[in-house]
Amino acid sequence: MIPVLLAAHLAGIVGASVAGYRSARAGLLVASIPPAITTIWALGQLNSAPQQAFYELHWVQGLGLSLRFSVDELALLMTILVSGIGVLVFFYSTGYFGSTAGPDARFPSSLLAFSGSMLGLVWADSVWTLFIFWEFTSITSFLLVGYKHVEDSVRIAARRALMITGAGGLSLLAGLLLLVRESNTTILDQISPATGTVGTVAAVLVLIGAATKSAQVPFHVWLPGAMAAPTPVSAYLHSATMVKAGVFLMAVMGPIFANAAVWKTVGAACGIASMLWGGIGALRHRDAKLMLAWGTVSQLGLLVTLFAIGSPKAVFAGIALLLAHALFKATLFLVVGEIDIRTGTRDIAELGGLWRAMPLTCAVATAAGLSMAGAPPLLGFMAKEAALEAVLGLAGAEQLVFSCAVILGSVLTVAYTTRFLITVFGPGPATVVSPPRLAMTAPAAVLSIAGIAGYIFVAAPNRLVSNAAIELNAAATYSLIAWPGLKTAFVVSLAILLVGSLLGLAISRQRVRPTPGSQGADWADAAIDGILTVAPSLTARIQHGSLPVYVVTMTAMAALATIPFLSEIPYLQLDLWNSLIEPFLAIVIVGSAIAGTFVGSRLGAALALGAVGLGMSALFVSYGAPDLALTQLLVETIIVVAFVLGLGRLRQSFPPVDTTWKAARIVIAGAGGIGVTLAIAAASTSPTGTPPLADVSEQAVEEGGGKNLVNVILTDLRALDTLGEVVVLATVAIGILALARINQTEVA
Amino acid sequence: MTASRSSIVHVGIRAASPLAITVGVYLFFAGHSQPGGGFAAGLVLGAVITLRTVTGLQRPTNATGLLSSGIVIVTATAAAPLIWGGTFFDQRVVSVELPVLGTVKSGSALIFDAGVTIIVIGLVIALLDGLSTSEPSAIETDAEGRP
Repeated sequence: MIPVLLAAHLAGIVGASVAGYRSARAGLLVASIPPAITTIWALGQLNSAPQQAFYELHWVQGLGLSLRFSVDELALLMTILVSGIGVLVFFYSTGYFGSTAGPDARFPSSLLAFSGSMLGLVWADSVWTLFIFWEFTSITSFLLVGYKHVEDSVRIAARRALMITGAGGLSLLAGLLLLVRESNTTILDQISPATGTVGTVAAVLVLIGAATKSAQVPFHVWLPGAMAAPTPVSAYLHSATMVKAGVFLMAVMGPIFANAAVWKTVGAACGIASMLWGGIGALRHRDAKLMLAWGTVSQLGLLVTLFAIGSPKAVFAGIALLLAHALFKATLFLVVGEIDIRTGTRDIAELGGLWRAMPLTCAVATAAGLSMAGAPPLLGFMAKEAALEAVLGLAGAEQLVFSCAVILGSVLTVAYTTRFLITVFGPGPATVVSPPRLAMTAPAAVLSIAGIAGYIFVAAPNRLVSNAAIELNAAATYSLIAWPGLKTAFVVSLAILLVGSLLGLAISRQRVRPTPGSQGADWADAAIDGILTVAPSLTARIQHGSLPVYVVTMTAMAALATIPFLSEIPYLQLDLWNSLIEPFLAIVIVGSAIAGTFVGSRLGAALALGAVGLGMSALFVSYGAPDLALTQLLVETIIVVAFVLGLGRLRQSFPPVDTTWKAARIVIAGAGGIGVTLAIAAASTSPTGTPPLADVSEQAVEEGGGKNLVNVILTDLRALDTLGEVVVLATVAIGILALARINQTEVA
Repeated sequence: MTASRSSIVHVGIRAASPLAITVGVYLFFAGHSQPGGGFAAGLVLGAVITLRTVTGLQRPTNATGLLSSGIVIVTATAAAPLIWGGTFFDQRVVSVELPVLGTVKSGSALIFDAGVTIIVIGLVIALLDGLSTSEPSAIETDAEGRP
């Protein structure tokens, strides 16, 4: 079923862009079909478990390169979130973009491409698959953030998001490669726990990848900027799914890094910093959407902290919160989008009294908001309780630090939730609203009701969460508790709600506040701009375009590279020649080469080089390598012709060279020549193993079905190399044509 | 380009071309078991085109077409086995009994080699085309009366 679903997404991308040209609504509806099918399939899988869906598409078996997917319990939970919320977001978009001025034809297909990439990411079972789909989500996210690309600020925000998450992706790749090298497998399930220095380095690299994707301090600066995207995108990518990719990665990698101390310390430091700084950010901003975005940074910080702790209870709480957060945060974003469309503003200084004008929306938002604050009777409450129990259950200094951080973070969460609900819906001058749009209210209501239903019918979310948690950590046999009674965690929870709402009320009185600047984002942009200025100047320095300097550099490097071989040559045992023809040919070759350096005219030099080549092919013949000789001869012929044709454009003789430069060139050329000669002598006198000639010959006749060994190697045994080489040839040829055309247009 | 106007050269090259092409084709098919192969064949055929171009007998310009079809052929040969469940670059060998030639063995490697040949020919033509364009255009501007 996995390949069918992925193919359905691919087909949907094409179908949605075709349909999108006719009508935006049709494009969105077509795009919602693949996620709908996936959701239904995933819900069906819930009952047919424990049989996991699995699919593998081999590419290069020797390198373990394959697309490998496996849908385990955690992946199933993520699938339901990604595809289920996806369907609702597509439906919501039909209302968001209105019926007259719909989105671009590429919007539905980009969003669907993201949805498919996200599925590939959560289903991935090999490091390559994981990385590829990880990057796909970054790229599709870039397209979606930059959707309103005519505005400068949007393009800058999209670039910042791409650069930060893209750089994180490279860091992740490095970490994964270290893991693959240590445990000799590319299959995620089979990677052994990392230890020692390699484990530490890999843990940090993977953490950077997760932190960039999940917008953790100090990489969080891209997330508020990404709010430049249309609200359906923000609700889907930047709250429910893509930012969860980093948390998901931490959940999956947790068992592998269980022994690396740095995983816990750095991960938790990152998480706690984000939890607190995100909460403060949410209290500082006036734009309702930005308030939610900063709230997301804070919530993700809590998730990252829990998965960094990695104790069974923390893992369980993390997954419960992952589910709850996806539901309530997506709801709140959808609500903000509706308010934005119906009132024309998201600024809380201008909003107010919406409970009267938008009662249904207000109810939906309140239910989601209370879930976010962790108030009963909602799914968020049970998740927050589990998180509190997890940190209170730790011992010693860990208990103190983590408990304080989580409690403080939760107080901030309650405060910004209160501020959000009061300032938008609470008392105040009623904002003018346009008529309701059912397509926008309904999806938010569905998600919000899911949060309530999850509390009432606790068995359903409990099954999802506890199975996934047990899969990650066999000791995590907990279940969600609807009403814990007067236990410590519950009392702490009530205190948090009280303190937080009082703080929120106090702050929400001060409706008009100066908009905080975004220094972090400015620094990130400055860094990106810096790269963009340094890179060209560095390139101009290295790739200066002076052919003689290139050749001298390469020759000097080749000469230096031969130094290690010098000690391996048995100088006294060298045979100077095998047959008398060799010294004769050597004289011809060396003579022509020397003549080439003395000839004043370029044509003469080209012909001298041709003579060198011909001598070489004669030498090949004397060694019994007709194939090589033939190729060399033909290549020489073509090169000489090309030289002669090219020389028509140049001065006939070489330009004068100043004496020092000339001397340097002579020295380096001499060193290069001597170095290569000695390296060849070393290679042919002290081989480090037996040449695999016999094996290859046998293989050539059996597998390749040919007797010309060289050619069978070229076209069969090492055909991938040949493919690469001919692609290079074709690229060079296209380059030649392009250069010639530039010249033509200049002449014309 | 210095096009030779000598009729001896012209006739000689006209006469030699079919022979050289035959040699190129021979090298291409011989390559599997004897010296030769797609690269060498492409160079020989490219050399024929070079000779004919330098003497002004023809003026090939279709390098891009050859290059792109060559790339399509090599990548398609490489990827085709994936369709029927094989791996990248799976080799297929087919033996055919032909009346005159006897048993002829041929495989997907031959098609791959053909792609290599086409790319090499394309490269040679690109070289000729690219390196010789400036002069004719310069002459054209002269013909229009510009300095």
